[in-house]
Amino acid sequence: MTSTAQVLLLAQRALVQFPRNPILLGFSVMPVLIMYLVFGGLFQGVAELPGFPTHNYFEYLAPTAILLATVPGIGNAGVALAADLQTGYFHKLLTTPTSVSAVMLGRLLGDCLRLAVQAALVLLLAIALGAHVATGVPGALLMIAMGTLLGIVTFGVISANLAIRTRDAAAVQAIQPMAFLLIFLTSAYQSTDHIDSAVLRTIIDLNPAEHVLRPMRELMLSGYDWGDIGIGFLVIAGLGVLLLPLTARNYRSAYS
Amino acid sequence: MTNSSLAASTAFSPVDELVGMARTERIASGRRADDPIVLENLAKTYPDGTEAVRGISFRVAPGESFGILGPNGAGKSTTMGMLGTLVKPTGGHARVAGFDVVAEPVEVRRRIGFAMQQAGVDDFATPAELMLLQGRLHGLRKHEARARADLLVQVMGLEDEAGRRLATLSGGTRRRVDLAASLVHLPPVLFLDEPTEGLDPRSRSGIWNTLDHLRSRLGVTLALTTHYMDEGDRLCERIAIIDRGVVVADGAPAVLKASVGGNASLEDVYLHYTGRTFENTRSAA
Repeated sequence: MTSTAQVLLLAQRALVQFPRNPILLGFSVMPVLIMYLVFGGLFQGVAELPGFPTHNYFEYLAPTAILLATVPGIGNAGVALAADLQTGYFHKLLTTPTSVSAVMLGRLLGDCLRLAVQAALVLLLAIALGAHVATGVPGALLMIAMGTLLGIVTFGVISANLAIRTRDAAAVQAIQPMAFLLIFLTSAYQSTDHIDSAVLRTIIDLNPAEHVLRPMRELMLSGYDWGDIGIGFLVIAGLGVLLLPLTARNYRSAYS
Repeated sequence: MTNSSLAASTAFSPVDELVGMARTERIASGRRADDPIVLENLAKTYPDGTEAVRGISFRVAPGESFGILGPNGAGKSTTMGMLGTLVKPTGGHARVAGFDVVAEPVEVRRRIGFAMQQAGVDDFATPAELMLLQGRLHGLRKHEARARADLLVQVMGLEDEAGRRLATLSGGTRRRVDLAASLVHLPPVLFLDEPTEGLDPRSRSGIWNTLDHLRSRLGVTLALTTHYMDEGDRLCERIAIIDRGVVVADGAPAVLKASVGGNASLEDVYLHYTGRTFENTRSAA
């Protein structure tokens, strides 16, 4: 059996788990939808500012909501990994001709598919609230893909490493709010042109999430800017190249 | 499952079908080894400096039932982990089913079943799903894995639980499911790490009977760890007593007891070779 087939089998296992855990499904998507509705309503006036890229704040906020669904949401993969390590099932899987990477990627892929569906729900809500995706369905799919991939290479990796070190699902859950920091320190709620603080603008510019959120917003509001999309994918790839091998090394140092 | 119910079911039973499948598998299982488990000065020192295993050597013959007996912390599980390719040795060599555990870990894994000290199961899955996935990861086709899972459900007496989620099942049942999942690819070598740890006497006895029966019918080479003297006595044709990471005695239980003399028990054997009582060592660990 090839590694790809093993990853797909393990992703399938994760997908079978989700409907059996309705609390996970409900509580991972409901807060995002509520935040979207509340912040969208509260800050509607922001869209009236001169030079703001759209007159519909829900439209501006939609890519942010996608990140709010995908980045903290991928933390569930870490929680599930910690549970597997705690119960010994992770090592049971490793007594088959399956690699550590396949077990982890299978889990992440399963969670990605769940998050992609949740992100699509957010977009549907945005459309119901009068938002319009400038690039249509292909752009919407690209936005969801970028958000999901950013989730994997940031919070997915962090939560997986924490799971490896602690084997404690509660510890992994406890760091989930940190994922919001990654998103809040971007132009998630306000365009950088309208932020007065130079320090904050510098922090936003240094935040890798900003370089993924920016092309996502362009896909939502204006069109394809392939330069920015390329930068977004380069940031994702760079984080992946840097952090995924660290995860494998962390596993080896912890368990072998 | 009791011996009598197993015996009653052997006229043409699920075990017979598994035996037939196992014979075919062995023919195609690749490299032959004289002894399916060989350890030569195997050692493990963890990064924090803990010397868990300090040069262990023994061989296990084909079809033999071999026990590693010792208190908690003696190095049994680390030894099992190295044989199961889960822990990397820091010294010596080990071969399982003819393959080096460090150089050829995937080949080793294809040929072993491994049931952990803590029943390693997925709480959200059912026993049938768990066995199916385990079989598929071992490269079985879906229908093959399903057929074997169905047979193992019957062999293990899990018919009533096969469709229930593992989270809802008792510790003893989860152990049986874990054991069944370890056998779904019909491995020639089976490792069991403390197979009855924490179980009540009835569940322990049930697992012993099942193991006895499966081993004799399937011809599996069995290596298990235990800190229960009665388990070593009951299941193992030969045992190694391990203390502080080294083997202090190795032989058939009867021979070891005779070497101490009189009506010696395995506890007496342990005392004789280590200078400490087994109970004291366990509480110290």
